[in-house]
Amino acid sequence: MTPPVALVPGVLALLPSYASIDDPVAELRAACLTAVGELGPRVRVEASGASGVRVGAGLVRAVGATVVTSAESGVLVVGNGSATRTEKAPGHLDPRAEAFDATLRESFSGIDQELATELWADTACLAGLPRLAEADVRYDDAPFGVQYWVAVWG
Amino acid sequence: MRLGRQEFGDDDALMMAIVNRTPDSFFDKGATWGEDAAFARVAEVVGQGAEIVDIGGIKAAPGVEISAAEEKARVVDFVAGVREQWPDVVISVDTWRAEVGDAVCAAGADVLNDAWGGADPELVDVAAAHDAAIICTHTGGVTPRTRPYRIEYDDVVAAATNDTVAYAERALAAGVARESIVIDPAHDFGKNTFHSLEVTRRIDEMVATGWPVLVSLSNKDFVGETLGLDVGERLVGTLAATSVCALAGARIYRVHQVVETRQTVDMVWSIAGRRPPLRAIRGLQ
Repeated sequence: MTPPVALVPGVLALLPSYASIDDPVAELRAACLTAVGELGPRVRVEASGASGVRVGAGLVRAVGATVVTSAESGVLVVGNGSATRTEKAPGHLDPRAEAFDATLRESFSGIDQELATELWADTACLAGLPRLAEADVRYDDAPFGVQYWVAVWG
Repeated sequence: MRLGRQEFGDDDALMMAIVNRTPDSFFDKGATWGEDAAFARVAEVVGQGAEIVDIGGIKAAPGVEISAAEEKARVVDFVAGVREQWPDVVISVDTWRAEVGDAVCAAGADVLNDAWGGADPELVDVAAAHDAAIICTHTGGVTPRTRPYRIEYDDVVAAATNDTVAYAERALAAGVARESIVIDPAHDFGKNTFHSLEVTRRIDEMVATGWPVLVSLSNKDFVGETLGLDVGERLVGTLAATSVCALAGARIYRVHQVVETRQTVDMVWSIAGRRPPLRAIRGLQ
């Protein structure tokens, strides 16, 4: 049986070391914790960089599971769409961002990695994922001009 | 720390808002002498988030002698009224007289703020009897309501620390709960401006005693003399001194301006790593 797979964004605000009094990502955090909680006790984290690994591992620990590199009960993929959706987005507004994210929403195959880089998208680990249409999508929004998805393929 | 009916965590910084029942205090010049105005002041500062109101019936500076009976007439019923309208607010009363302390505690006060450093030795017994908190201040042994005149210290901070800790231990021995004892160097009380500046600079030495430290800096003369500013112009200087005390970890701030002081202390508390930012997302999305 294939272990379940979850997708979360590499949002640093999810880390305990960046906690605020009023959680700016409360809804996203709740969705992430629920999704990661469905991956079982041994979770392998796939992320494109060190900060994504930390965010993924932080979520795994937050649900009481353990990060492993093999014999996993579930896989946590860390990545997200563009970070250029609005003028206040980290990478400012790029008019191509919305269409780029819409394409990802349809399919993670055949991602234009050059465009992804220009749009500050973290897509390196998304390429192998099935379509979002086949997942239980828990979160799909761009609250800070960054496109986030939380989804579980079970 | 426990102040009467309220407990506070080790990382809480508290605002103690001044409410004068006097016709002649230096900052507000009698603005809350009328009872309605005084209740309005309490409503205002509680609305601004002050955890404590400090009610005083006698101005600190010299002036017409106020008997214990007159002091009680000014504060006791008012304390009862505040307690009735605001059951959760911590009520402190600024008095050095045991007789007055007993009456206000019976009326619902939580804290006896002895601004004159134990001038009445029975005040600690009153605090113990009512399970009230006590603020132990340093005045260098001066008589209540007198100005400092040619007072010098070998080491003003050592004197303030030793005297307030001795007072705290006396309160403890009298039966006041350990978690209900606070020390206060009492800026400008028995101190010239140089003394108050030095106490501010070295306030960490008082924090290091382990007793929670209260500072009363608000619009005082050491700020005015340092900057050459009159009473109504000392907010910025007050907040600068507040920042220094907050960084060192002073826990209670006796203030006229609650909102500005709260912002200052919150900011410094976060710089010190004792309080998370309210809502940080920039760069963390």
